[in-house]
Amino acid sequence: MKKAAIGFFVVVTLALMAWGFYQAIYVAPNDAMQGEIFRIFYYHVPSASVAFLFFAVSLIGSIGFLASRRGNPDRAQAFDAWAVAGAEVGVVFCTVVLATGPLWARRAWGIWWTWDARLTTTLILWLIYVSYLLLRRFAAGPQMQTLAAVLGIFGALDVPIVYMSNRWWRTQHPAPVFGGAPGSGMDKSMVGAFLWNMLAWLCWGLLILALRYRVERKSQLIEAEEAQQALEA
Amino acid sequence: MDQAAILDHQFLIAAYAVTWTIQLGYLAFLGIKWRTQKREEARVQRNPR
Repeated sequence: MKKAAIGFFVVVTLALMAWGFYQAIYVAPNDAMQGEIFRIFYYHVPSASVAFLFFAVSLIGSIGFLASRRGNPDRAQAFDAWAVAGAEVGVVFCTVVLATGPLWARRAWGIWWTWDARLTTTLILWLIYVSYLLLRRFAAGPQMQTLAAVLGIFGALDVPIVYMSNRWWRTQHPAPVFGGAPGSGMDKSMVGAFLWNMLAWLCWGLLILALRYRVERKSQLIEAEEAQQALEA
Repeated sequence: MDQAAILDHQFLIAAYAVTWTIQLGYLAFLGIKWRTQKREEARVQRNPR
């Protein structure tokens, strides 16, 4: 039953990805100002949104780990697995944002990169979570998970700064398309393509987040088993 | 098609290709990790120290 549900979700996700691609390339019209290059929006913005969501998952996992590590070690390990899964998958989506952004910027602004508030805070966010993953990969000892959880919480503090950066400061990056100044928003003919791609990338992200969580849990169980066997030997 | 439109098209294809390369590359990485862990799990259960 569980396998069938997972298989169904995979099929739905793949169908959504294909449909989202079709909508972005063939259905949505060219932007009146930017032309065809605007279609990067349909991958760039959903990737940023999903990255933010998964950094929030990492934040909840980190807080949960710190809160339960003494009272309920088993639950703490599960929280830790969510924290690392959220951080790693969030970094993957943030990498997409940082890769597609300059490609768009080169055509729209004539430059690959500029140190404006939105771009710089996004790069800092990415660097914080890469350092989180490096810490987890190379640090050893019982304090590693605690240090990583603290770093994960600090990293998440950058998310609202990234989100608000083009509201708080004048940036080269465009003002918010949604929820921005009066008159902001998209043409109706583009909204469908955007929402389909949001849904598709969200489902894709949830799929790989769940897989990454399973991998981490399995890794924890193998380590616990080995530690138990070492004690018994 | 003018030069600007051709360049726009090429950059768009590059952005979509980069996105899929990153996502599928990560999925492949997870798949390899998963397979390695399955082997490791079998080893631990087969050869307890």
